[in-house]
Amino acid sequence: MSDTAASQSAAVRRSAVLSRRVRLLLAVLAIAALPLIFKDSYWRTNLTLCAINVLLALGLDFILGYAGQLNLGHSAFYGLGAYVSTLLIVKLGIPFWVAFIVAIAFSGLAGMFLSLFAVRLRGHYLAIASLGFAVITYQILLNWISLTQGPLGLYGIAPPPSLSIPGLPVIDFHNAAAFFYLVAAFTLLVYLLLDRLVRSPIGETLTAIREDEMSAASLGINGPAWKVFAFGVGAAVGGAAGCFYASFVGTLVPDAFFVTEAFSILAMVIVGGMGTLIGPVFGAVLLTLLPEVLRGIGDLRLVVYGATLTFVVLFIPGGLAQAARIVREKLGLGGPAS
Amino acid sequence: MTTTIVLQQAINGVVLGSLYVLVALGLTLIYGVLVQINFAHADFVTLGAFAAYFFMHLSGADYIASIGVACAVGAALGWMINASIFAPLRRKGNELLPLIATIGVSVMLQNLMLAWFGPIPYAFETPYSNQVFRFAGIFMTEQNAIIITFSAVTVALLYAFMKFTFLGKALRAVSQDRETAGLMGINPNQLIMLTFVISSALAGMAGAMLGPVMVLTPFAGTSVIVKAFAIVIIGGFGNVEGTIIAGLIVGLIESYTTQFLDPGLIDIVVFALLLLMLVIKPTGLISERREENV
Amino acid sequence: MTAAHASADADLASSSAPLLRAQCLHKNFGGVRAVSDISFEVARGSVFAIIGPNGAGKSTLLNLISGVYQIESGSLAFDGHNLAGMRAHRRVRLGLSRTFQKIRLFKQLSVLDNVIAGFHIHHDISAWQYIVHGAGFKRDQVRCRDKALSLLDFVGMSARAQDLAGALSYGEQRMLEVARALATKPQLLLLDEPAAGLNAAEVEVLLDRIRIICRSDITVIVVEHNMDLVMNIADRIMVMDYGRRLFQGTPAEVQKNPTVIAAYLGGELS
Repeated sequence: MSDTAASQSAAVRRSAVLSRRVRLLLAVLAIAALPLIFKDSYWRTNLTLCAINVLLALGLDFILGYAGQLNLGHSAFYGLGAYVSTLLIVKLGIPFWVAFIVAIAFSGLAGMFLSLFAVRLRGHYLAIASLGFAVITYQILLNWISLTQGPLGLYGIAPPPSLSIPGLPVIDFHNAAAFFYLVAAFTLLVYLLLDRLVRSPIGETLTAIREDEMSAASLGINGPAWKVFAFGVGAAVGGAAGCFYASFVGTLVPDAFFVTEAFSILAMVIVGGMGTLIGPVFGAVLLTLLPEVLRGIGDLRLVVYGATLTFVVLFIPGGLAQAARIVREKLGLGGPAS
Repeated sequence: MTTTIVLQQAINGVVLGSLYVLVALGLTLIYGVLVQINFAHADFVTLGAFAAYFFMHLSGADYIASIGVACAVGAALGWMINASIFAPLRRKGNELLPLIATIGVSVMLQNLMLAWFGPIPYAFETPYSNQVFRFAGIFMTEQNAIIITFSAVTVALLYAFMKFTFLGKALRAVSQDRETAGLMGINPNQLIMLTFVISSALAGMAGAMLGPVMVLTPFAGTSVIVKAFAIVIIGGFGNVEGTIIAGLIVGLIESYTTQFLDPGLIDIVVFALLLLMLVIKPTGLISERREENV
Repeated sequence: MTAAHASADADLASSSAPLLRAQCLHKNFGGVRAVSDISFEVARGSVFAIIGPNGAGKSTLLNLISGVYQIESGSLAFDGHNLAGMRAHRRVRLGLSRTFQKIRLFKQLSVLDNVIAGFHIHHDISAWQYIVHGAGFKRDQVRCRDKALSLLDFVGMSARAQDLAGALSYGEQRMLEVARALATKPQLLLLDEPAAGLNAAEVEVLLDRIRIICRSDITVIVVEHNMDLVMNIADRIMVMDYGRRLFQGTPAEVQKNPTVIAAYLGGELS
């Protein structure tokens, strides 16, 4: 490759890095500003819910969008994270953050268990198996009353303990804004982590498996092992969302993790644009806020949810990410690829 | 005494199984022809139930007639949704998108029903629910008898249709090789539409008969559909005979689990069985493997 | 070791043990004997061709060697390693690479990215660098890019590096597959009908590339229908029919053998 061409592509890459840093800064600023703009508890609740849903969408996108595994049962990992952490805290008195880590590990392991099916099954079969997994998990949470209290639920779940950093005022997570910052910061970290992974040879490996597993095997890629990896990571992230959700709502019932929740998460990923990581972020925010914004039309707002999903699939299958690309092209902004 | 219980539960199992077979047949037909899973199928079932309920209560008509209405409503809905959503998607040739579209339609339908009918369960009583007759110490409501009769007749008709009529054979041809069937002068798109209509009509009928025996809310279909999927897999995607057998088996498992174990465990047992099948023989009880071309 | 005109004694020479040795391989598909009692050896640095009418079991044999199918009986040894039960991706690490009869590129990725995907087993990054993207990571990225570009250059495709693989012509896609397979740094390269769908000029280029590949000490097994290519490039040829080995020898010997001629002209189009 000629020198000018080489230095040109290096320049393109440098500007890509710069634009990434700028966008990161903007994101941090936006997150910091949000609770200051929305001061009433109704909207702060919604913001936190957005952050939790973003976390869920990211985990699923890693499994579905990147590794190409048709996982329709993400609600299972969500529920397991919530219940495992809560039970550890409430029944065994284990400190919040320790329970958090254990719950994430447990969800990750559950993901790896499901991935064993992914290794043997393709496409539709895996979809049904993952659905079955979610149903079984839900039924266990519902029926193992001695452990989970079943439909009566678990009460009085506390937020994480207050954080005292020397030199700063004590951060009390009962405060809605503080809790939001916690979840949003964690979500941002997860995003950066997944983004790094995806922009490394690991991302290419997952893409190869997604596109054509036999072809990938002919290049030395161990499909099964990477599927286990993708499921483990995606499920662990889902479990983390569950932990935050539990301490966020204070009361945990199995119904929050019914199979329809898995469909909601799927909708967020698809509407956002699967396999783009940033797309599902916006997809999650949009689909979390849409029903709230549409409160005026009453019971039909969830219909809009389904309609949005169907519309996207029919007309813009790449979701918001594709829409953004189309807009950029129309406006003549080339823009470096992120 | 125990034999009576066993037989009683066997009858109940067959009743349940027949309903599941009706629901699962619709799914398996669509899969056979389109290689597509239709998640909205559940909601056709629920809509069928509501259609039958309202027809009966608003017009005072006979329950049997309302089954027919539910059938028609299902057929019309299937026609509409295939024409507006699934047919355009098929031209894109992606495997995942149609699946997700069915999920979108399902969410829409469920929440529409929620908005129109509310979350409170409806008591769907028919004149036949309370008439009981017994033989050999076993109780059976007339409702159950109707269910078994209708299902058996429908399945038999469908089976005959698939095996002996030209259209039925054309359907099977399209499910085996769409392109070649097209070259033989069969219009795949029309056949696909026919499949959808038949499938949704079956769902509507199943809904009308399910309404009286279960909790009728907008989410009623969901609890059945997940079992229907299990049946379709155990029986083999696209395989009619396998689906019938698997449906009856699942119905029996459900009634025996309810009797001897705990009702809450039904789903777990059925799904554990499903997962087991997927590991051992994913293509189902009867069907064969298709080798992938390298 | 040059590959061009090795003598018929090549496989008897004791100077180097055969790179690939197959003995009495069998493979059934539900009662159909796709491969039946196949034995052969491939010498290092040579070009070994497998020819035969359609349905002879050639692709099945390649799939057995590359690991898409596992052998049911008989033995298969590569570079001294027993391949029985070894999964496909592990064989790549031993130095075995292949292209496919039905093109299996990653159509949604760019041409360059397809080749870079071939470096999977050769990345030199420690685990945490995948997250931190430090200096070691960047070095590896640059190294892979450069090597990928030189491989594309080799197959004459560097101008198309940024295009989507799905946008290439058939001939270009075939060459890209070769480049990608070479990225894994194989000792043995399996080519499954690489000339299928290529015009005469493209076949010439392919022929030339294969010769250069051999000169870099890579052993080649090629399954082909194109007799021009095969007779020009192969050191030894094995003829298959109905899953069995019909004949094995040098190109000259194959062309004169009556059984081979009968198999090809006896009612089958080649």
